[in-house]
Amino acid sequence: MILSAVVFLPIVFALVIAFWPNKSTLKPLAFGFAIIEFLLSLGIFKYFDPATANLQMVEQYVWIERFGISYFLGIDGISLWLVLLTTFLTPIVLLGSWTSIDQKLKGFLASVFVLQTAMIGTFLAMDAIFFYLFWELSLVPMYFMIGIWGGQRRIYATIKFFIYTMIGSVLMLVAIIYMMFLTKDVVGHMSASLLDFYKLNIPFVGGQFFSLQTLLFFAFALAFAIKVPVFPFHTWLPDAHVEAPTPGSVILAGVMLKMGTYGLMRWTIPLFPEAADYWGWLFMLVGAIGIVYGALVAMVQPDIKKLVAYSSVSHMGYILLGLFAFNQFGATGGLYQMLNHGISTGALFLLVGMIYERTHSREISKYGGLAGVLPIFTICFFIITLSSIAVPMTNGFVGEFLILLGTYKADKPFAFIAVTGVVLGAVYMLWMFKKVFFGEKGELVADEHHPLHDLNSREIAVLVPMIIMVFWMGLFPNHFLDYTKASIDHLVNNKNNYELTYQPTNQSSITETQSLQVGSTGVRQ
Amino acid sequence: MTNIGMADVFRISPMIILFLSSLIPITIKVIRGNNEQAPAATLFQGLGGLFASAILLATVYTLLGGGAQSTAFARAIVIDGITLWVGLIALMGAAGALLLMHDNPATNGDQFSELVFLTLSSALGMLLLVSAYDLLVVFIGLETMSLALYVMIGMSHEQKLSKESAFKYFVLGSFASALFLYGISFLFGTVQSTYIPDIIQQTANLIGTNRLFMIGIILVVLGFCFKISIAPFHAWTPDVYQGAPTPHSAFMATAVKAVSFAAFLRIISTKSLVGSESLFDFLQWLAVFTMIVGNVAALIQNNFKRMLAYSSISHSGYMLVGVITAGISDKTSFANSGVVFYLAAYSLMTLGAFAIICLMEKDENTSIQIDDMAGYAKRHPLMAFCLTLFMLSLAGVPPTVGFFGKFYLFSSAIGEGLIWLAVWGVLNSVISVYYYLRPIVVMYMKEGDAEEAALDFSATKTAILISAFFVLVLGIISGPLFALVEKAL
Repeated sequence: MILSAVVFLPIVFALVIAFWPNKSTLKPLAFGFAIIEFLLSLGIFKYFDPATANLQMVEQYVWIERFGISYFLGIDGISLWLVLLTTFLTPIVLLGSWTSIDQKLKGFLASVFVLQTAMIGTFLAMDAIFFYLFWELSLVPMYFMIGIWGGQRRIYATIKFFIYTMIGSVLMLVAIIYMMFLTKDVVGHMSASLLDFYKLNIPFVGGQFFSLQTLLFFAFALAFAIKVPVFPFHTWLPDAHVEAPTPGSVILAGVMLKMGTYGLMRWTIPLFPEAADYWGWLFMLVGAIGIVYGALVAMVQPDIKKLVAYSSVSHMGYILLGLFAFNQFGATGGLYQMLNHGISTGALFLLVGMIYERTHSREISKYGGLAGVLPIFTICFFIITLSSIAVPMTNGFVGEFLILLGTYKADKPFAFIAVTGVVLGAVYMLWMFKKVFFGEKGELVADEHHPLHDLNSREIAVLVPMIIMVFWMGLFPNHFLDYTKASIDHLVNNKNNYELTYQPTNQSSITETQSLQVGSTGVRQ
Repeated sequence: MTNIGMADVFRISPMIILFLSSLIPITIKVIRGNNEQAPAATLFQGLGGLFASAILLATVYTLLGGGAQSTAFARAIVIDGITLWVGLIALMGAAGALLLMHDNPATNGDQFSELVFLTLSSALGMLLLVSAYDLLVVFIGLETMSLALYVMIGMSHEQKLSKESAFKYFVLGSFASALFLYGISFLFGTVQSTYIPDIIQQTANLIGTNRLFMIGIILVVLGFCFKISIAPFHAWTPDVYQGAPTPHSAFMATAVKAVSFAAFLRIISTKSLVGSESLFDFLQWLAVFTMIVGNVAALIQNNFKRMLAYSSISHSGYMLVGVITAGISDKTSFANSGVVFYLAAYSLMTLGAFAIICLMEKDENTSIQIDDMAGYAKRHPLMAFCLTLFMLSLAGVPPTVGFFGKFYLFSSAIGEGLIWLAVWGVLNSVISVYYYLRPIVVMYMKEGDAEEAALDFSATKTAILISAFFVLVLGIISGPLFALVEKAL
């Protein structure tokens, strides 16, 4: 039951907020709700067994019998931390936007909670249609968030975001439906369960684009690649990030981009192993291009937020490299980097938001010498910068190092390109840091009529958990990786015949036991 | 000829009750010396008639069980799953349209009883059309339905556009009917029958060998294409939808479209397209072309009703995919039920969207541009939310009924191997997202002074809330309804 509660409690919160009569208590109420949700999600640990690669805490009920669609939630080492990341970031985002969002507060808070349900649901749904439902649902609140509370070109940005993402996902829908018909031959009835999809043995012909597995692979991969975003499909991201309000950017960068990489890891690679193997070079190539390209473009951005947005493109390239290296190091690093990026880029967007609230400008050239005026802010920004450029002892180092190691083992040339990206990453971040915080005081900083105030206690409270996470994840990665190890080993070792099983519990229905039996006899050879 | 027995009368009792209750308002008006009674009373008489007819339809269907017993009048009429479900959709559409007519300045007023009479007569034609098992009965149903509609549109209090619209609809509709009738004559000439199952049986044999039969089939199909606005026979749709009073547009987009599709589905039913490759290919291209034309043209519309008209054309394209799938699949496939479910879904959301337009019309001459919705969400959050729901549903975003409509429709196509049609369908729904999002953008993200007309809209709002409720609920639990539809077909 706990997974259902974690997924659907935010929707209940959203409804309560929508009908809450008192406007002045809305913010504390929403913050309290987000904390409750976070504590509830911590409860997952009580039942989570890190030693097994099986799907855990499974809840499966028939939803649409005719098509074998079920209400199917489950968690394993791959999705565990992403769920935690979502519930961890939400209260921080709400606290961070305490003063910046004043217009239409109710709608905003309700959107945040609907979005939370959609994101957690995406990570936990183990039924293709159920997954698709959350996947698409996540577009709607984000669409409103950018479109209503965003900047100047918000409408252009939000429509671009919506349509771009939708193009990829409708093709995935066609592929999902096709695979539901394929399961008929394997399990005897139509099924949308991911576990049944894993049992499919889809014929693969190398070198031929119009062969079944390749087409299905690309239909799925395109949807996720747009969401990540992978290099040629990234153009929606800078627009969306720049126009989105701070909380929108944080959620977008922190969690929504991970939906794409999670999708690759959970769906595309294990479902179509031969095609993923065959076309892996393509994804490593666009990943490597993304790393260098994102870094180079970030270097010339005059706008801090745009710089951070392009740095996201670069960072997501690493994750892609890690996932398509197909070894323990790469996959672990990829997963770890998803969390790192959520923390460090999320924090960067929060910091940019804080300074924007003070000066209403994000132009790098107008700043300078901030270090003397805002010491606490500078320290926080510096720590997060270090995390973003992956200095040892911070979380970023662990992730990037593992990815580089994995890539080196798999395909050396890409590792060389990626290492260049590490250097470039340091260049643009430190460059920006220098221009904003040191040197002559810029026009905004020197403005005597609007003296700048350093971070207040609320803002410090927003940043402290993030900074703690930076060091915790950087110094004790095993606290986190112990939970993912079993699942990732299982994923990497059984790449070509990956299957997930689970122990039926008392709540389980008959179909579960059936699928378990089929799973244990091993239909796929 | 067989005698007409009570059994036959029982089978058409839903139509009889509809006819009788359509007479009530105008009779009362005559008795009162040509004075209108209170519009609310007229409305309730009309709704009562539709409701009684729906109950009877369900009862007749349940008692007959859809077997061989269910035909009447020498097999000219059949009461089967399509009759039941599409009949219910049509009655629901008519009821919704009546609710809108009651509040709309272009339709309420001194001729409201006549309007209710005409609406119910049109609904009568619809019931006849969905139960027709003989091409001539199809024709009679089609004409009964359409003639009442021509008059309804022309009766609008608006003086210019509605008259043009009625005239255009009449001329083009008659043209389509003529084509249809001409096609029937060819079919009768070659098969010596107008009984639909006879014709279907012979299709595979004759279509490749007999030119006259081929011409007949193509003319019949073209007649239908006119009615369901398949491109390139769609040109009347935007003008008529835009010019007609909004409740009538809602009526045409929901009920009229649903029943025309049902009749089409009955003709292109189980496996009738197998063996007739040319017709099969022709229909596929029509479907793709229709989706593209409808969606691309809708992108540049500013008039809300015109935009919905083009959207209705594109949805015809999607549904044609389902009809084609039904034409090549056997009984076990769910293509039929996919189309019927989509018709229900489409009717719900379109009715809701038109109803919202009604709220903005302060007199009969108002025409609502999309930009007029600016700032609407600020003043009327609930109605804006409902419109958002309808638009997202039309675009096929889960969790709304529109998503599951598309899911069932395209699943059946993929199951029969028509993957390329499904891909065209989903890509087109991405195009459609752009124009469906526009009203939402304008309502929520632009400042403006959109205001509802200062009229009593309780009936319209009832229709909106009911549609919104079902759009959302059926988006979450569509399985049971789909199972019911599938069982009946």
